[in-house]
Amino acid sequence: MVDAFRRDRVGIASFCVVGFFVVLALAAPLITALYGKNPTEHYGQNGAGLLSPEGLPLLPNGGISAEHWFGIEPGLGRDVLAQLVYGVRTSLLIAGTSAAVVAVIGVVVGVAVGYLSGFVDRAFTFVCNVLLAFPALLFLITLGPVVQTRFVGPGESEPAWMQFLVLVLVFSVFGWVPLAMVLRTVVRSLREREFVEAARALGASRRHIVFRELLPNVWAPVLVHLTLAVPAMVTTEAALSFLGVGVNEPVPDWGRMISRGADVFYDDPTYLVFPGVSLLLFVLAFNLLGDAVRDALDPHTVR
Amino acid sequence: MTRYLLKRVAQAVAVLLAISATAFGLFYAAPSDPARIACGPKCDSAQLAAVRTSMGLDQPIVSQFTDYVGGIVTGRTIADVDGTPIPCPAPCLGYSYTLHQPVLAAIEDRLPVTVSIAVGALAVILVLGVGSGLAAALRRGRPTDRLLSGFNLLGASVQIYFLGYVLQFLLVYSTGLFAPPRYVPFADGPGQWALGLVLPWLVLGFVNAAVYARLTRSQMLETMHHGYVRTARAKGLGTLRSHLKYTARGAAGPLVQLLGLEVGALLGGAFITETVFGLGGVGKLAVDAVTGNDLPTVVGTVLVAAFFVVLFVALADLVVAWLDPRVRLA
Repeated sequence: MVDAFRRDRVGIASFCVVGFFVVLALAAPLITALYGKNPTEHYGQNGAGLLSPEGLPLLPNGGISAEHWFGIEPGLGRDVLAQLVYGVRTSLLIAGTSAAVVAVIGVVVGVAVGYLSGFVDRAFTFVCNVLLAFPALLFLITLGPVVQTRFVGPGESEPAWMQFLVLVLVFSVFGWVPLAMVLRTVVRSLREREFVEAARALGASRRHIVFRELLPNVWAPVLVHLTLAVPAMVTTEAALSFLGVGVNEPVPDWGRMISRGADVFYDDPTYLVFPGVSLLLFVLAFNLLGDAVRDALDPHTVR
Repeated sequence: MTRYLLKRVAQAVAVLLAISATAFGLFYAAPSDPARIACGPKCDSAQLAAVRTSMGLDQPIVSQFTDYVGGIVTGRTIADVDGTPIPCPAPCLGYSYTLHQPVLAAIEDRLPVTVSIAVGALAVILVLGVGSGLAAALRRGRPTDRLLSGFNLLGASVQIYFLGYVLQFLLVYSTGLFAPPRYVPFADGPGQWALGLVLPWLVLGFVNAAVYARLTRSQMLETMHHGYVRTARAKGLGTLRSHLKYTARGAAGPLVQLLGLEVGALLGGAFITETVFGLGGVGKLAVDAVTGNDLPTVVGTVLVAAFFVVLFVALADLVVAWLDPRVRLA
């Protein structure tokens, strides 16, 4: 499988790009320390000669200079590069945690339902029907404010970890369904295979069959599903922040940068282009990687 | 067939009930006082009590819910903030104290915009997604196939809230090639209607087309090798005709099901597209209701969106049964 992946040049390239983003996220404090800027300081308001009285960068192309490589944010005058680097952190932290939760719930439910069938299967199908018909994005939009009114007193601001938790929670609630459905089908066909029958004939316990015979055979679809789920969660999180119900100030976030960039787009297009292109590269690399993983794991894929 | 239909309808109703119960419980059980939000800051305690009674908030949550569901079936009368009774005929989805109109009326006002966006976007998805998937399958492995898959990968990776602004900047603001996006009712002139919406259609369609292109291609490639297609070709039917007449029909099942889900989702409101292009459809209504804490409208839009999804998924199942005798007879 690793050999098959190594032969895939596009796969290797996308793997490198994804790795680059992960390194950016992990080393964000180091990078910004070397670069000498941080993502929260209002350079434009504190230093003269950077922002016009209307709050737009004075230098061309969004204030790109030797000092601020990707320019500065209109209005507050924060450094764009530092915000971008820390933004990867926000995205990957939320998407990664959600993916881990989705993997656990999806595997447990999918394998259990696929193995048990009967009444459990009917109940599962109903829950899936409900969750699939649910307007998920609308629900994601509404849940944030509801949680906020429930747990945060009036006038207080919501702590950042709570926003993270809410986002992880809602992504997990909807995210496990497709994975569990895939695994249910996989386990149902595995269950009838000879090696499981052989184990059963030898008197293996249910526990042994589930953990030793079935589980080791489902990791391939799980891996493929997760590589494609991470970019989907990152873009959904960015979309929520774009609509104003995601991560709040001052935590750096790509979606909120895009939303701010959209406000001043005709005067300062550069500020939208950087997070927009970063997001495009990030998602493109993940999608290509997902395809490569699928091809490497499944020799039957029609290409 | 009748039995299948009845079963499908019962299932759909059960799903909708479960969704409305969840949405209702979640949003009305939040301790933020919906009556205070509805009444506004200048409300005295007597008015507040009146609003609470008219919203049914003094009742236990279960009877509030049964009232709500009852209102959907038979309609009911709701009192406004000042106590004037407002008739809310069936299907009553509650009354918005922010917009001062029944929720269903508010949705109906904005539905034409959302339907217009959905119709055009769907056409783009069919042409771009299904069309390019068909072409790629027939030209498998050739440059056309590679080019199309690259193009579709770009569509799958780019975001509406980026592409939408970039295209508006390049095509509307800088060069003036396109008219600024706006909604003109179809009745006022189909040309104006289409001109105002062409950019949102292209963006929404392009972004969603990739899934269809990929699914069409893989379905076609899989079905092409079935015996019945080979028989058709052996009998002397041309390549293109045999594939369109036999392969496409056999391959359409999963596509139709996905399309059903898509149509339902599009009719529930294109939140991001409407926000990016400044169009006031159901999606914008829902987003505004959330940010403005307008709970009756939130629950109403959730329900309407879910209704469309359930309806079109069920319709898609029927179409699949009609297209593919193997499903019908199973």
